Amino acid sequence: MEIVSQVHARNLVKLGENHPEVLVLTADLSESCETGAFRDAYRERFVTCGVSEQNMLSIAGGLAREGFIPCVHTFGVFLYRRALDQIAMSIAYPNLPVKMFGFLPGIMTPGGATHQAIEDVSVMRSLPNMTVLEVGDATETESVLELAISIRGPVYVRMLRGEIPRLFPASQPMLLDTPRVLADGTDVVVISSGICTEEALRATSALRAKGVSVGHAHVSTLKPFSPGVLAPLIAGARYGVITMENHTVVGGLGSIVAELMVEGGIHGKLVKLGLQDTFAHGASRSYLAREYRIDAMALVEEVQRLVGRPSLVEAQDLAAVRVEIALSSAKAEAM
Amino acid sequence: MLDAKERRKLKDKARELREKIVEVTFTCGGAHIGGAFSQHEILVALYYKAMRIDPKRPAWEDRDRFILSKGHGGVGHAVILGDLGYYDPVLLKDFNKTGSPFGMHLDRLKVPGVDFSTGSLGHGLALGLGAAMGARQTGKDWRTYVVMSDGECAEGSVWEAAMAAANFKATNLMAFVDRNRLSLDGPTESLMRLDPLDKKFEAFGWRTLVIDGHDLDQILDAVEISRAETERPVMVIANTIKGKGVDFMEEKTAWHYGGLDEAMRDAALASILKS
Ligand SMILES: Cc1ncc(C[n+]2csc(CCOP(=O)(O)OP(=O)(O)O)c2C)c(N)n1
Repeated sequence: MEIVSQVHARNLVKLGENHPEVLVLTADLSESCETGAFRDAYRERFVTCGVSEQNMLSIAGGLAREGFIPCVHTFGVFLYRRALDQIAMSIAYPNLPVKMFGFLPGIMTPGGATHQAIEDVSVMRSLPNMTVLEVGDATETESVLELAISIRGPVYVRMLRGEIPRLFPASQPMLLDTPRVLADGTDVVVISSGICTEEALRATSALRAKGVSVGHAHVSTLKPFSPGVLAPLIAGARYGVITMENHTVVGGLGSIVAELMVEGGIHGKLVKLGLQDTFAHGASRSYLAREYRIDAMALVEEVQRLVGRPSLVEAQDLAAVRVEIALSSAKAEAM
Repeated sequence: MLDAKERRKLKDKARELREKIVEVTFTCGGAHIGGAFSQHEILVALYYKAMRIDPKRPAWEDRDRFILSKGHGGVGHAVILGDLGYYDPVLLKDFNKTGSPFGMHLDRLKVPGVDFSTGSLGHGLALGLGAAMGARQTGKDWRTYVVMSDGECAEGSVWEAAMAAANFKATNLMAFVDRNRLSLDGPTESLMRLDPLDKKFEAFGWRTLVIDGHDLDQILDAVEISRAETERPVMVIANTIKGKGVDFMEEKTAWHYGGLDEAMRDAALASILKS
C-alpha cells in the first residue's frame, strides 16, 4: 500500500500560492500540526498565538469577519474542549469561514485522556452552522483542505498527519456529504469513518472470503449527513448494521446512523463500535484499538455474532494492511 | 536554609533522580525530558524537604497538595513518587507502555500520590486555588503547591486564576513558573511575549519572587517566605534551563519530547555525572 507523508504540510503551501486571504494560526503546536512549511513560505500570513487556544479561536473569528480565511491548527482536544464558547459565539453563531484542523483524533495520540479528542464529533456537530469532516486516508487528507475552503461557513476537520496510507484512488477526492460505498453486501453493512476504515477493510475482505456478504461504506462528512446512498445500503442488510468510529459511541457516527435509520423508518439491528462511554488512556494506537474494540478483530467478532457463525475468521487471517511506524530520538513532533 | 550536609544529600538525590529519568526515557521510548529536567529541583525541594507528606498514606487528609500543572512533566513527577515509596518503582520500567498505570500525563486514579490529573495546560493554578480554598473552608492548615510552565502562561485561564487567588487572599497557595524560556515551538518570547512575567503577576496581586530554579536553597527560602505571608499568595518565577543536566539537551527546543538510544542514554548519564 502506498504511504504518503506530510500531506497537509505541502497542501497548505500550495493553497497559499493562490489564496492570499488564507492565514494559518497555531497555538504552540506548529510542527506537530504540519504548519512549519507554510510558516517558512509565508511568514506574514502565519500567526502564532502561544498556548492560548481560546484567544486563537476568537482572533480567528475577528479575522474571518474582515474577509480572511483563518485556518486554525492544534490538537483536536484543545480546539473544541478548551475553546468551545469561542467557537460557538465568535465563529459558528456569526457563521464565519474559520477552518479548524483538529489533529490526533481519538486514540491517535498516546498522550492519554487529556490529549484524546473522543467526543469532538458529538460536540461540534451539535453546533448550528458547523460542518464536520473527518479524513480516513491520504487521498482525503490531500483533498480536505480545498473542500474546507470551498464551504462557506465554519468547518471542523478531524485531521491526520505524518505517514498516511492511501486507501482511495488519488483521482477520487473527498466530496461533501458523499460517503464512499466500498462494497455492496446483503448480510451485514459496515459504516466506518476515519482510521477505522483501514481496520474495517482488513476485516471485511477476510469475512468475504468466508462467504459473508458484507457491505461497507466510508463516511467523511459527519455533518451535513443525508440519507443518500447509505439508506438503501442499510435497508438491504439482512442481519444488521455496524458502525465503527475512533470516537465515543455517544453522539458520533453510531448515533448519526441511528438517527438516519429511525428517521427513515429503516428497521434493523445497529451495533456501535467505538469508545463505550469511557475516557481512554495512553498506549500505542494498535493496543488501544484492540482494548477499546475498534480494530479489525472487533469488527470480525461483531459480524460473526450478527450472522450467528462464530470462529469464521481468526486473528492470523486478517491481512496486514499497515505497518506501525516506529519512532525514536529527539522529535518535538512526536507530541 | 539548608545546612551543608542536607544540601549535599538533596543534591545527590536530585542527581540520582535525573539518572532515573534518563533510564525511564530510555526504556519507554520517549518522554518530555527537557521540561522534566527544568522543573526538577523545584519538585525535589518540595517533595524531599518542604511539603508535609506521608508516602505510606497518599490519601492522608492533612497532607500538602501538589499540582503539576505542566502535566507533560509527568515522567519527572512519577520518578520522584516511586523513589519516595508511593508505589514500587519497579513499575516504572513500563512507564507509558501498553497496560501500565503510567501514561505520559499522570492520572490520579491510577498513580498513588497524584492529587490531580493534568496534561491539558492552564488548569493547575485554578485547581490549586480551589484546593487552597477548600483547606480554608475546613479550617485545615495544609498548603497547596502548583508548578506551571512558562508556555502555559499564554493561557487566559492562568490569569483568571491569578486574579482570583489574589482576590481571595489565598496565602495558603504557592505557585512556581518553570521559566525555561522555551515552549514546544521555540522561545516563548518569540511566540507570545511573557516578559516582564514577574511584574505581571505582581500587578495581579501576587507577591512575586524571581529565583534560580535550580538552586535548592533559593527554592526553599521562597517556600519560607510563602509560609510567612499573610496578605498575598506567592508566585515564584524560577529561572531554569530546559534539559538541565544533560549537555546535549540543554536549551534545545527539540528535547521538549524525545527518545534515547543506548549511546544517547550513556552520554546523558555521563553528562549528569559531570554536572
Ligand atoms: C491546553 C493545551 N494546549 C496545548 C498543549 C500541547 N503542549 C504540550 S506541552 C506544550 C508547551 C510546552 O512548553 P512549556 O509549556 O513552556 O513547557 P516546558 O518547557 O516546561 O516543558 C504544549 C503546547 C497542551 N498540553 N495543553
